[in-house]
Amino acid sequence: MINNNLKNITRAKGLENAIVVSILLFLFSLIFPQHDSFLLSLINEVLVFLVLLFVLSYIKPLLSSKTDSPFTLVLNAGILAALIFSIISVSDSLFGSLAEKDANLNIINSLFSIIIIFIFIVAVIYILASFRELFFLRQKKDLSIYFNTMQVFFLLTFFSNLLLKIDKNFDYPYNSFFVVSIVLISLNSLRVAWIAFLVKKQKLYLLLISTILSILFGLNFGLLLNESNTIRQIIFSFSPGLYSVLSLTMIYGMIYFGVIFFTTLFHLPTAEAFDRKAQEASSLMDLTKLITQVFDFKELAETVTSITAKVCNSYSAWLVTKKGNDYELNSVHNISYVDADKLIKMLLDNEESDLLRVQTFYYDSVSSELRNEMKEFKSIAIAPLKLQGEINGFLFTARQKDVNFDEDEKKSLQAFADYATVALENAKLLAESIEKERLEKELDVARDIQRKILPNNVPCSKNFQVAALFVPAFEVGGDYYDFFELENQRLGFIVADVSGKGISASFIMAEVKGIFESLSKLIPNPRDLLIKVNEVLKDSLDKKSFVTVIYGVLDKEAGKLNFARAGHPPVFLCSDNKVERLQPGGIGIGLDYTNGFANSLKEMQIVLKNDDILAFYSDGIPEAKNARNDDFGYERFEQIILQNKNKNLDEITNILMHDLTLFSKDHSQHDDITLVLIKWNKKN
Amino acid sequence: MADFNVNLRGVGSVSVIDVNGYLDAHTAPELENVFNKLLNDKHYKVVVNFNDLKYISSAGLGVFMAYVETMRENRGDIKFSNMKENVYNIFDLLGFPILYEFYKDENEAIQKFSELSRS
Repeated sequence: MINNNLKNITRAKGLENAIVVSILLFLFSLIFPQHDSFLLSLINEVLVFLVLLFVLSYIKPLLSSKTDSPFTLVLNAGILAALIFSIISVSDSLFGSLAEKDANLNIINSLFSIIIIFIFIVAVIYILASFRELFFLRQKKDLSIYFNTMQVFFLLTFFSNLLLKIDKNFDYPYNSFFVVSIVLISLNSLRVAWIAFLVKKQKLYLLLISTILSILFGLNFGLLLNESNTIRQIIFSFSPGLYSVLSLTMIYGMIYFGVIFFTTLFHLPTAEAFDRKAQEASSLMDLTKLITQVFDFKELAETVTSITAKVCNSYSAWLVTKKGNDYELNSVHNISYVDADKLIKMLLDNEESDLLRVQTFYYDSVSSELRNEMKEFKSIAIAPLKLQGEINGFLFTARQKDVNFDEDEKKSLQAFADYATVALENAKLLAESIEKERLEKELDVARDIQRKILPNNVPCSKNFQVAALFVPAFEVGGDYYDFFELENQRLGFIVADVSGKGISASFIMAEVKGIFESLSKLIPNPRDLLIKVNEVLKDSLDKKSFVTVIYGVLDKEAGKLNFARAGHPPVFLCSDNKVERLQPGGIGIGLDYTNGFANSLKEMQIVLKNDDILAFYSDGIPEAKNARNDDFGYERFEQIILQNKNKNLDEITNILMHDLTLFSKDHSQHDDITLVLIKWNKKN
Repeated sequence: MADFNVNLRGVGSVSVIDVNGYLDAHTAPELENVFNKLLNDKHYKVVVNFNDLKYISSAGLGVFMAYVETMRENRGDIKFSNMKENVYNIFDLLGFPILYEFYKDENEAIQKFSELSRS
């Protein structure tokens, strides 16, 4: 910012100073049109130098903004050289007559020559400043010392002219400075690094321009050497120093453009390769950007194919990814989907095992069958999309010309294939993480529903104790248990398991709860109730879903239990030192909506004695698995109840859970675990 | 996770599906694909051979429930054979034997189909 301001100030000042000094110089030359005294010459030369300096300080920042386009600099310098040339060449006819008519320089004539001189000053400075910018363009090292040294010698040459005023024969310093300047010009002209970065078309253009400009600058220099040339006379008489700087500038232009011509000429054969590499690098950069920004693989695949075709100098390109054992064509460039598909099938069918690196196929070397398909293409290259040794797909590129793919092209093809691999993997991971997040959210909802559906407390009574245990599986099974206080001192209870998992299971569970909440009050008989539930659920269960249920009604005073079972695991009754499995007939709800359901369903009635324990549970307990995939089974379950029957119910559930956890410690719990225990204990 | 494999073969006009391994919510879609293919090809007589099935979950059972109706409407059926005891118990508990035919041997089930079409 400050730097910028400073630049602006110096630039403004440069213009101001240049104008002031120019006016001074103008007045000076009007007052002393001809001067032979050394002092006046010195003043004149200093004024000219100051004008040069200030114009330079004005133009320099102007040009430094154009460093991105060396062509503009070259063209501007060329236009000015052409301007100089035209002025010099028409001057003879224009001024020649003037000078002849009136040998004494009149006011108009000197005014005219001063204008010419100012034009020349600006042109020379502009050309020099342009050369300076070109000199520093694309240079990686600080080379200012070389250019500055040259400028110093220009300066020395400029002022050494004055020595000739003193003694005509004292031309030794002037000549040596002039020669050293030319040597330095030649050295500095070799700094043409920027040419390498032009594209081939620009190089060809530059070749032409540099020829013209080199000749133009040479002509200018040659014309100015001619002592009879009017312009030379005008300038030399005005300021010998300006004349020498003008000459040096013309020499610089001649040499510089000559060097440019030859350098460009030598760069031409590699221009194409250079262009391709540059394009490759910029394409890879674009791709990298795309990969981080674009998550749509399709879009990226299209970019990859079009860039591949361009960089590999081929006509068509297409990208396939593996889907199981099949291939999916992701994008095509300059080829129809149908043709690409055919070629993929033909090329991959027999070659896939070898395609760990880039492979090429040439028209002459392929089977006639394939040749038929390849009629438009003379050569095809294939690169695998490899990730951790696994091939995820292929990138193809094909040429119509009969030109082999070289190593560089194969390498860039593989590079693009690798990029496509990364992008593919990114897209896949993203989709997976979104899906995972969605599933987890869904499971959170399902768990929440389940938690709200299950009762907070178990009923208690002086005649019996109840204990309940519920351990949800990660994926949320469909277990449900509940208790309903009914009229006439009865307790209804349900243990159910909805098939399936996750949110769909929990919704059905909620529906089941609603149905039982209302129907249990209306239908006292468990079997009738289950038949009704089967009818009601017909409309909401899909074909592959079912619900297993045990529903019972316990008379809290008499200890009489009526229950029915619809496809659910049997009830355990622990009584008199043994465990009995109670399994009245009944198919699961949702398996059959005809009379078959009612026909299969049997109701059972038992009368409980003191210390009898009833166990209702879901299949999560007997089907719990250990590392060897053995079931926990019914026997282990029965034994635990039998051995602990004298403990209180909470202790029994704890022991069961403990044993179950131990048993399945190396196997994840994949279903909900539900256990409801009822112990009859009537005090008389 | 548990492995599951399913193989489809034709024995005369009957399609036999061999199920192998663990059939649960994660592997059930593979079996569904086979049934969808059968429906597409209008093959409605199906025997499922459970010889190599080690475990079936409720989601696995659901697959058969989802397709049996269509098979029966088209004068076909899904019949089960070669079931191990532990797997059979799961079917039994749910009441499947009331609704489906179970056979000790695959050929018996196939035989049953041909008897049916003869009558």
